[in-house]
Amino acid sequence: MMKKTILNMLLKKFNTEPHFNEKSNQKEIDLKGQDISRNYEDNLEIFKSIFSVPKNTDVKVREFTIRSLDRRAFLIFISTMVDIENIQETIIEKLIKSEQPSGRIQDITSYSMEKTATNIGEITELITGGITALFIEGYQECYLFETTKTRGRGIEKSENEVIVKGAKEAFNEKVIDNIALLRKKIKNENLIVESQVVSKRSRNDVFLIYQKDLANDEILENIKDKLAALDTDKILDLSILEQYLEERPRSLFPTILYTERPDRAASFIEEGHIILLMSNSPSCLVLPSTFWAMLHSPEDHYLRTPYGNFIRILRFMAIFIAAFSTSFYIAITNYHVGMIPPDLLMAIAGTRERVPFPSVIEIFMMEIAFELIREAGLRVPSPIGPTIGIVGALILGQAAVQANVISPIVIIVIALSGLSSFIISDTSLNFAIRISRFLFIFAAGTMGIYGATSLFIFGLFYLVSLESFGTPYFAPMTPHFISSKDLIIRHLPFTERFRPGYLKPKDIARQRKG
Amino acid sequence: MVLQQRKLGIREYVSISILMAGAKATEDTPTMLYKGVQNAAWMIPILAAGIFFIPFLLLNKTLLLYQNKDLFSVIVKLLGKYIGTCVCLLIFLISSIGISFDTRTYTNIVRTFYFPTTPTFVIYAILMAVCAYGAKKGIHHIGSVSYLIIFYFVIFFCIALMLSAQSSSIRAMFPILGPGPFKIIKDSVRGLSLFADFFLLTMIIPFIRSRKEVRKGTWISYLFITFQLSVAVLVYICLFDTSLGTIGYPFHTLIRFISLGSYLPNVEIIFFVIWILSAFIRFTVFLYINGMMFGHIFKIKDIEYLIPALAMIYLLIGSMPESSIEIAQSKLVVIAAVGPVFTIISVILWLAAVLRGEFKHAKNRNSM
Amino acid sequence: MQKTGIVCKGLLFLVVVCLLTGCWDRKELEDRSYVIGLGIDKSEHKGEIKVTMLLANPEVGSMQGGGGSTEKPREVISFDVNDFIAAKGTANAIISRKISYEFLRIIIVSEAYAKEKRFVNTIMDTQMDKEIRQNTYLAVSKENASDYFLENKPKMETRPHKYFQYMVDHGIENGMIPDSTLFRYFKTLERGTDLYLAMYTTAKKDKNPKSRTEDEYMAGEVNASGELDDTQFIGSAVFKNGVMINKLSGRETRIVNILDDTTDIKDILVDFPNPFSNKERNFAARIMKRENNKVKMNLKRNKPQIIITIPLKVEIMTNPSMVVFASEKNRRIIKQRIISELKVLNEKFFRKSQQELKGVPYPLPLYARRYFLTIQEFEKFNWGKSFLKADIIVKPEVEIIDYGKQPTKPLKVGG
Repeated sequence: MMKKTILNMLLKKFNTEPHFNEKSNQKEIDLKGQDISRNYEDNLEIFKSIFSVPKNTDVKVREFTIRSLDRRAFLIFISTMVDIENIQETIIEKLIKSEQPSGRIQDITSYSMEKTATNIGEITELITGGITALFIEGYQECYLFETTKTRGRGIEKSENEVIVKGAKEAFNEKVIDNIALLRKKIKNENLIVESQVVSKRSRNDVFLIYQKDLANDEILENIKDKLAALDTDKILDLSILEQYLEERPRSLFPTILYTERPDRAASFIEEGHIILLMSNSPSCLVLPSTFWAMLHSPEDHYLRTPYGNFIRILRFMAIFIAAFSTSFYIAITNYHVGMIPPDLLMAIAGTRERVPFPSVIEIFMMEIAFELIREAGLRVPSPIGPTIGIVGALILGQAAVQANVISPIVIIVIALSGLSSFIISDTSLNFAIRISRFLFIFAAGTMGIYGATSLFIFGLFYLVSLESFGTPYFAPMTPHFISSKDLIIRHLPFTERFRPGYLKPKDIARQRKG
Repeated sequence: MVLQQRKLGIREYVSISILMAGAKATEDTPTMLYKGVQNAAWMIPILAAGIFFIPFLLLNKTLLLYQNKDLFSVIVKLLGKYIGTCVCLLIFLISSIGISFDTRTYTNIVRTFYFPTTPTFVIYAILMAVCAYGAKKGIHHIGSVSYLIIFYFVIFFCIALMLSAQSSSIRAMFPILGPGPFKIIKDSVRGLSLFADFFLLTMIIPFIRSRKEVRKGTWISYLFITFQLSVAVLVYICLFDTSLGTIGYPFHTLIRFISLGSYLPNVEIIFFVIWILSAFIRFTVFLYINGMMFGHIFKIKDIEYLIPALAMIYLLIGSMPESSIEIAQSKLVVIAAVGPVFTIISVILWLAAVLRGEFKHAKNRNSM
Repeated sequence: MQKTGIVCKGLLFLVVVCLLTGCWDRKELEDRSYVIGLGIDKSEHKGEIKVTMLLANPEVGSMQGGGGSTEKPREVISFDVNDFIAAKGTANAIISRKISYEFLRIIIVSEAYAKEKRFVNTIMDTQMDKEIRQNTYLAVSKENASDYFLENKPKMETRPHKYFQYMVDHGIENGMIPDSTLFRYFKTLERGTDLYLAMYTTAKKDKNPKSRTEDEYMAGEVNASGELDDTQFIGSAVFKNGVMINKLSGRETRIVNILDDTTDIKDILVDFPNPFSNKERNFAARIMKRENNKVKMNLKRNKPQIIITIPLKVEIMTNPSMVVFASEKNRRIIKQRIISELKVLNEKFFRKSQQELKGVPYPLPLYARRYFLTIQEFEKFNWGKSFLKADIIVKPEVEIIDYGKQPTKPLKVGG
């Protein structure tokens, strides 16, 4: 404790926050705290000034007279956020044309979803969210209609998490569609969709989705507290929210699962996890998550048991190869030469004779080149995509070998480890493995297998101590919890009886023994 | 919120004890056993286990009387403050010397076989640094990591022993009684030190979930370790025959010798990796237990910051001898002392508990 | 934020240090020169030995079609040193790369040096160097090892280690040479109760070799001509207490290999004298040993008795007398002949080992240990002396599993 404060004091002396001048916003804040007035002109003035009409071209103010009540009224809405036809048909037409002598607004307009509000700040917030506000002369309240219609992509195929057998839908940027995708998979009245606004300027809303009778209340409280404690101007995307929520944001390994597939999200909800959705993010966050959740892919379960296990074992092998193959190669060829079969040794030594660099530098160069090619391949525009692939991989590699800059065995090792890392479908874990591969190369280059193993144990100790919202990273394998035993080998679906115990769900048995 | 309530389960407890005590089969202990009784050396773990069984049983019974108290608290409670603290100090000193010499032995093994020109200090420093980091994390995490590794360790160990059957002959086991039954029994008493690790493991009893798990776990690992040590020594005898007396580290010589056919002549690195993993876990647990002991004697609550300091001290002590021969000689002395000392302490504890009527109190408490 | 900065800088520093310094044991693959074979000879200078090193050139045969290099596949150097561990340093005066014994396959000792008492001391050095592995083969050559390596020029194998690997493996499978590794040498030396067999080889053919039956040759006696390399591996050298005392022919080595359960002998092809007629050729048979021998010993009496039962499966490969084996009588005749032939050979061999060699060249005493309770009793029994007066009976148990194609009388052309 004491140590940390001394360190902080020292560091504060050296890093001071820059000075900046701020303009006070107090007038606007006061205005927003008030209620609307009964006066028609006043309201119009206030809202026109708040929204900077007519400078703001897509904020529309429509003034008209309600025939049946014989009063003036105006509608204010942001045209790019609302369903204009709907407003026109159900609100404006009805109000202008209705001939019944009196009646409440609710009975005249036929638009569904309507409520009232009085606070200017609240109304402003709702208008920016796409709600239409109706102000009537002499009325104390303002009527609000939920006419939000966001524009965005339709529901398309999943691009990053590709599977062969199974549903291919993915989340898109419209949160309405995302929630719909989840609802249609879990038709249960206990599926709760709660929403919370998290940022101050952009007012992004976060939706928590969980099953009321499965999720643990403590974890839920924890998450809600964390969300409420966020104090920032904007959180534009779910991935940024992820970084705000993580307990150890600087760690190499992710502790929250990020997926773009609704079927994965639905299966996690069904186990008792909690899902976070946000508008404008074609993905969801799953909390709490463990190492195994990031490794597993839904295809393991969709395929039949033998095939699913085959893919699973292949994936585990791929992780080991991706992380360790290059460091293993360096350790063996530099320190433990006796391990190599003599023919292989002669082959390697023969081709390495004319290469100018030591092995470590060679591997390092080729790793960086491979990462460059990989990143370039992701972002290249599609017409020239395949050409770059051929140029980068084949010709560069082949030419480098023929020019005796690198030896062919290095290309094989690098290609093997690079390709294996593609099998890990979770983006964050992918990066984690790739970066730790570099650390292993350094460790192996320094002390051979001893260095690599020490780093491995070091890493294991570190990973075991990671926690995701109270759940240890490797649960349920170590700290043992009741679970469906679906860790390394996947069993038949009807033998997976229990939900994960580390979530402390309220109903732990999925199916009764029968 | 979940962390404080979480305790070690039986899986983690058994893995820790197997990795800790099982590493004894992979260093120079079999050679020392062989020097005493030649080819009956495989009997010594079994006989020593039998001799240690009674004191160990008594120790367990005494400790299980007090739930959630570790060995040191029980010693202080039963023997009084001054005598108890002296006994605790004695145990701590023996354990510290043990760990210094053991770490130095392992460093020597790594240096001799795999890194001939690297300075010992570097290897030693890496070993202690990783163990200190692990020990700082706490016993729960150590337990988790050992559970992750244990299966691979046991499987590869068995594979190594089985591969050596290509060149070994089971007849080297005969004559069965070796140098004679009296010498065997005499050496079994000396061999009690093989199980000294179990004595130290009782320090982590308060971290385990329930008394039933402690009991079950302890006996499972006791039997398993006896079996493992016996089989390992037997395999070494069958493979090396009379040369075992001169081979310093039979496990490493074994893994350098076995081969998977003529196209993959040397596969020692795989076994080296799992051996190093088990060595790391062993010293991590040792460091943690020593830290706990130190904290208990000097009434320090937060031992997290103690551990790197202790690690440094052990490193310095371990660097003192210049070569491996001096270590082997010092170790003989320590090993001869450790076994009987721990046995006597267990018996004394049980006697003290009986004399103070603790057993009767416990029965009354339970029946109330 | 600040803590990350410090951690990052620390890591960077560590990385730089690791790359520049550290790595005390790191040696690039191509920076080393690998010794495949080591030769040890007597040296004219007192107290020294002459060491010959056979070094492999990795570049030859490496690149697929892109090589065509004109370098030779190997290099041989000989010089006088104190021991072959310090020789690694001296050799660097001549060889450009660092010498490494990691791939040492075979150690060849000249017969003259193997007979000296100093040989044991020299070979003990191999236990001290961690690079030399215990499964390195030990062979004795008739001439000097330096000449052996110079004369040995395998015509079909590009790389020297392959040649030795194949020769030794197949020789052991055939039973013509013993499985003589350094491991067995040291085990036998420390056990002290039996003898050790090492492979016998030579690169010089005898001037006028006698012609014998298939396996009665020793190295150098096989009269093969043509475009070939003259190196031969057949027969064995007998070592007692670490020093060579005698030689065994290929046939005797085969007998030992059949008697010894720990060798890796596969099928061997032998021939038997024809029981059906004295004028025709010998039978060829394939002998397969699939089970272990059974040894019963009766050691309490004054003259110890050892009964060895060898289970063998035999396949008759040729049929020079055109005998029809459908008849029970013929089958019995050939079986009896095989059994008696084997019995005679084995007992002759044991007599030789009792009288000439004064020891048994494979770990027979291991079987004897079963009959004693303590080591003291066994030492009192004194295997070395007791073996010399023991009564050894060998009972081969032969099962003939295949007689081959039955012959039919060929019809004469033209009636």
